[in-house]
Amino acid sequence: MKALFLGGVAADTYAGIEAELPAGLDSVVVGEPIDRAKLPQAAIDTDILVSNHWRADYPPAPKFRLVQSVATGVELFDLAALPKGCVVCNSFGHETAIAEYVVMAMLALHHRFFQISGEFREHGSWATSWVQSGTPHGEVRGTTLGIVGYGRVGREVARRAAPFGCRILAANRSPRERDQEVERIYPLAELDQMLPQCDTVAICTALGPETTGLITARRLALMKPTAFLINIARGQVIDEDALFAALRDNRVGGAAIDVWWQYPNQDDPARRGSRYPFHELPNTIVTPHNSGWTAGMVRRRWDEIADNIGRYCRGDSLINLVTTV
Amino acid sequence: MKTLFLGGLAARVAPRIQARMTEKIEPSVLAELTDMQRLIPALAEAEIVVGHIWNKDFPEAPRLKLLQAATAGVDMIDLPSLPRGIALCNVYGHEPAIAEYVLMTMLALNFRLLDTVTDFRAGSWAAHQPAGGSPHGEIFGKTLGIVGYGRIGRDVAKRAASFGCKVIAANRSPVADQGDAVEIYLLAELDRMLPQCDALLVAAGLAPETQGLIDARRLALMKPTALLINIGRAAIVDEEALYTALKGNKLGGAALDVWWRHWSPAHPDERPSRYPFHELTNVLMTPHCSGFTDGTADRRWGDLAANLDRFVRGEPLNNIVMRT
Repeated sequence: MKALFLGGVAADTYAGIEAELPAGLDSVVVGEPIDRAKLPQAAIDTDILVSNHWRADYPPAPKFRLVQSVATGVELFDLAALPKGCVVCNSFGHETAIAEYVVMAMLALHHRFFQISGEFREHGSWATSWVQSGTPHGEVRGTTLGIVGYGRVGREVARRAAPFGCRILAANRSPRERDQEVERIYPLAELDQMLPQCDTVAICTALGPETTGLITARRLALMKPTAFLINIARGQVIDEDALFAALRDNRVGGAAIDVWWQYPNQDDPARRGSRYPFHELPNTIVTPHNSGWTAGMVRRRWDEIADNIGRYCRGDSLINLVTTV
Repeated sequence: MKTLFLGGLAARVAPRIQARMTEKIEPSVLAELTDMQRLIPALAEAEIVVGHIWNKDFPEAPRLKLLQAATAGVDMIDLPSLPRGIALCNVYGHEPAIAEYVLMTMLALNFRLLDTVTDFRAGSWAAHQPAGGSPHGEIFGKTLGIVGYGRIGRDVAKRAASFGCKVIAANRSPVADQGDAVEIYLLAELDRMLPQCDALLVAAGLAPETQGLIDARRLALMKPTALLINIGRAAIVDEEALYTALKGNKLGGAALDVWWRHWSPAHPDERPSRYPFHELTNVLMTPHCSGFTDGTADRRWGDLAANLDRFVRGEPLNNIVMRT
């Protein structure tokens, strides 16, 4: 049995789980930057691919049976380039960290934290204090949180937001059983009914045909002008032009953006996350796609990946199955 | 019933309190506490005073029966100089807002939010995983210790528990309602609690037992990665010791909403401490506004008005701090 760990994240994963891998497994690591010259030999007789991608122009890999993604999203695997019958599994472990980020961002936006702490730190300004009787800030108690994509992350967000006294709504592609934290789960087709009710909208959905470009200019206009938008899913779920214009013109209250429409690459390592200067907007919290990037996430994810490789080698049923090619 | 709204805060909120009352009072308003010419006659006839300050040199208030503080803290009321036979009441309503602030800052410190956002705004992807950034922390599984376990502490504990935090607490008096805290220490046993904490929340009132409670020795009992969040009163924490610990990375970070120096009209731009906390990147700082939300104002002035109504009707009062 042979496994190929391909790319930087997979190489780190290998280092983290080496001791947990089955004794008979022959592992090859091709880290970052990927040495194309090593790929033909590494791919030709490999059973298990551990990576975050597989490209159409990569050499033949006829024996792939398990493709184990080191990420939750599998959109960088070209399924057409994978052999028929191979199963694609993903990995999680990030729900905890991302749910913490979503609640943190929701609190920081409602409490106008960046504005208040920035003015106090830089200018010693007490303008927002009791002492000065400035303008009070908001709180999340009694507000309505709408979660778009009610999967693992969405449920963890709801569990944490409920004790704050938030009313929680959700929308999901497939029917979900309602748990006690959520007042109502809308089908994604009825998203337009949910949006006008929300004081915070958290995008927690996977990227797929139904969610690409889901949050359009029209849907942003359905939101309250004071509502906050949080995106920890994928940039492409939201229309880039429309969101920038809405934030710039204060047609929504603000946003926290962790995922972007474009990323740095070898040709442009300093590339910004968008064609628009979101980083200049005072009502927008911007982070470099690191909401889930915690030591706890890494450990939980490595454990899942090692577990699944062990299951495959023993012939046991797999976890986190996404699709069979 | 002659009711005096005394001091800047009470004077500002007097119309909102009266608007919520059902009973009739005879209100008067005096914002300036040092205006003795007006203060002497006003206190001579007041039966109710609404305010949060009572100075040692105040004139006689022979008809006073109720001093209704417009704040939760009564540390600006000189208790020994209060007239005999009155009830001192306070107000709350800020607990949910402050609990939100505590969770927000605890999350933000673990996430290194200020640094991350500042760097990313400047164009750096350093915190991004493929860029080799180091991971940040979670609050899941962390131990939160709360000093002063009252209403705010319980509201914090309820929210922190849903994040998978272990909540422990220390309190001056025995705690009747433990809420979501799993262990309660006496304040005298604080030294046993401190080494366990990944975050320490100071939510106590200022009193002789809490003044200077968190000193250099106790800060040294904490983990070098631990966070300190103070929404109680600044004087509970030793100013110099905290600054020194944070600057020397003997603590992981702090979120401070209460300060050793406060704003005053004479010194509007004065920094809130003798030490430059604002130069430390592991410190989140806010100008005593953690509880200052629309929601707090609604709850607080509603509760205060209801207590005045109760007094006018001769019904039992809420939130009695003490009777003199």
